[in-house]
Amino acid sequence: MESSELERFEAMVLPHLDAAYTLARYLTGNTQDAQDIVQDASLRALKYFGGFRGTEPAAGRAWLLAIVRNTVRTWRERRHFESADTTFDEEQHSEGIAADDPAVKLDRKETRARLREALAQLPDEFREVIVLRDVQELSYKEISEVIGAPEGTVMSRLHRARQRLQRMLARGDRAGERVI
Amino acid sequence: MSETDFERRLSAAIREEMPPLRAPEELRQRVRAAINNAATPKRWAWEGRPFPTRWLALAASLALVALGATAGWQVAARRAAGGALADEVLASHVRSLMPGHLTDVLSSDQHTVKPWFNGKVDFSPPVSDFAANGYPLIGGRLDYVAGRPIAALVYGRRKHLINVLLWPAAGSSAVRMETRQGYHMLHWTAAGYTYWVVSDLGVAELQELTQLVRSAGS
Repeated sequence: MESSELERFEAMVLPHLDAAYTLARYLTGNTQDAQDIVQDASLRALKYFGGFRGTEPAAGRAWLLAIVRNTVRTWRERRHFESADTTFDEEQHSEGIAADDPAVKLDRKETRARLREALAQLPDEFREVIVLRDVQELSYKEISEVIGAPEGTVMSRLHRARQRLQRMLARGDRAGERVI
Repeated sequence: MSETDFERRLSAAIREEMPPLRAPEELRQRVRAAINNAATPKRWAWEGRPFPTRWLALAASLALVALGATAGWQVAARRAAGGALADEVLASHVRSLMPGHLTDVLSSDQHTVKPWFNGKVDFSPPVSDFAANGYPLIGGRLDYVAGRPIAALVYGRRKHLINVLLWPAAGSSAVRMETRQGYHMLHWTAAGYTYWVVSDLGVAELQELTQLVRSAGS
């Protein structure tokens, strides 16, 4: 690789190591695996950087995150890692529309514990859009680049992910003490 | 699809439970090492070796630069003077290394970086790219130091980053050095601006960049 190209790589891609690590960490649930994945993904990124034509810094982020996401998938397959839900299917996971639910008190400690649990149990396809949108604050367009799906799919998947979390939280609230 | 109030609250709660993370330093080093190994030799291979000739040549040229400039620079580790300001400058540098804080405008083109400051600060900072000298301009950002909005220019040097903070000031002063927590800071006032150059690089390289900035600004 030409040194100018290497410098471009360092300017466009390396600033996004934090974002890469954040995604890997929340997709794997493990700091050591996340580090291995990000290192692996960075080398893949370097290898394929010649084909990357972006110039905006944000484009470097989406591009690197897409590689991290794919690296997580490959790594799971290699290790026969069973994700929370390996039989994800858009239709099967379509949920009825849940109304806005003020009864779910998100600031209660018990609710937060359930939220953590619910996040951990989300299928990968839901968790990745939640992490990309709510944690890393990517635009729908950027998320669509990362996961390789149309923006419409991103939006509907995000919506269903939130509905699922909401239902899990609401169920818990009603099962426990009454909070209204 | 507009977000409901619940969705907004949920997003905020999720972000609190799963905050954006900073890559561990160990990982950064591993990635850099891996990239250096993977990159083809030529310009980059020599960096990993202990004492190749290029280093010696560089060291020699820097020694000459340092020798010639000693009188003008009066570099001395003065902790007392400008102590609080040095702390602010260091804070700005360290903050800039946190995720997403390095640059507001990412460009190696001085003609992009300079106009970017228009309307953001009440002065037009001199901006130069020193890529030809081994200090490529990476970008710029706004910061707040010494009780005023200031311009920060970011330069690269091998795997290191250098912040050059500047704001208008009258008078002139020789280059002085402060050291805090292993970071060296060179600062001076000349040609209408106070400059602070800060990095984890060695003093010799900071002096070299300082010399470049001073020649470009005069």
